[in-house]
Amino acid sequence: MKTLQFLILVTFVALFIGCATVAPNELVNARSAYQLASQGSAEQLVPAELHKAHEALVLAEQSFLKDPDSQKTKDLAYVAQRKSEQAGALGAMAADKASKDKANADFRKKQTEIVKQGKQDLSDSEQRTAAAQAEIDKQAAVKEVKDKSDAEFQKQQAEIVKQGRQDLSDSEQRTAAAVAELAAIAAVKEEERGLVVTLSGGVLFRSAESTLLSSAKVKLDQVANALLAVRARNLIVEGHTDSQGSASYNQGLSQRRADAVRDYLVQRGYPTDRIQARGKGKGSPIADNASPEGRANNRRVEIIIER
Amino acid sequence: MKHVSKIGIMVFAVAVVATAIVAGCANAPLRTEASTSGIRAAEEAGAAKVPQASLHLQLAKEELELAKGLAAKGEKEKAASMLLRAEADAELAVVLSHGDAEKSEAMAAVERVRQLRQDNQ
Repeated sequence: MKTLQFLILVTFVALFIGCATVAPNELVNARSAYQLASQGSAEQLVPAELHKAHEALVLAEQSFLKDPDSQKTKDLAYVAQRKSEQAGALGAMAADKASKDKANADFRKKQTEIVKQGKQDLSDSEQRTAAAQAEIDKQAAVKEVKDKSDAEFQKQQAEIVKQGRQDLSDSEQRTAAAVAELAAIAAVKEEERGLVVTLSGGVLFRSAESTLLSSAKVKLDQVANALLAVRARNLIVEGHTDSQGSASYNQGLSQRRADAVRDYLVQRGYPTDRIQARGKGKGSPIADNASPEGRANNRRVEIIIER
Repeated sequence: MKHVSKIGIMVFAVAVVATAIVAGCANAPLRTEASTSGIRAAEEAGAAKVPQASLHLQLAKEELELAKGLAAKGEKEKAASMLLRAEADAELAVVLSHGDAEKSEAMAAVERVRQLRQDNQ
């Protein structure tokens, strides 16, 4: 608006003065400076300063109309030029200040974003760390349980081994004692199939019978006592006959006698699942059946203590 | 006689006052306060370090001296007019000094933002 007024004024002055009077350099410079200032940011940002410049230029123009060549006109024009330059400089300064303020606001905004992002990153990192720590704790707990379990297992194993050794030692001792005891009451022989205790058939049964004699029971009680000390072993009771009579008869007789001995031992407390009876007939002689002594030796019951 | 004398005294008094007023106006000292304070303000604003402001500061000083010279020669009106030039140059020197600082600060602020963004891409 002021620029328009200024242009109207300049046109008015030019029309009335025309070529008759030439404006002094100061006034020409002032007009140019004002025009330059009004085209910049001054009109928008520092209108008051531009207004001052306009008033100074109006004074100069009025003085020019009144007294074109006077020093006062030149001085007023000079002042108007400086006021215009001042307005232009203040406009630029205001623009710079606006730019600075915007940059500072952007800086603060960006800083806020960075801090926010930093906090978020920190929070994420803390969560990841906590999760990792939880996993480590979990694994440590699992390891602790496993170690404890392993230690317990090893301890139990050691105890089992120790107990096993102790049991073996006890068993060996019991076996040795049993063997010694058996050796005192019957013939005992170490064979590949086990420890063989041989009882004479004449001692246990009447001829051709399978019922135990009373004296046989006394003997078998002694045997049973010795065997009960080693009850963890499997026993096989075998019945044997001499060669007299048919094979089937002898087989049946030997089986019945083996059964009788087995039943008695079970009756005396030996575990039934660890003892079995076999009739061997006349097929496994240990002596010559041609002589009475040989046949007496072949009529026997063998108790095999398996290893 | 007494009456004439009284009027005469009054006329004399008025004449004396009028003479004093006229003489006072004619011999009024040059008012350089605005110019000198403007020059001082420009110097304090650091005009000497800003080329364009320094130029106008120098002009203001020269114009002040010219005004003083004109006043000394009795050319009061020209001196006052010259003082207006000095004031205008001094004021412009102040504004240019501040403008230079403002421009530097604005550029620094923009650069600071650019650097911050670059560092945090």
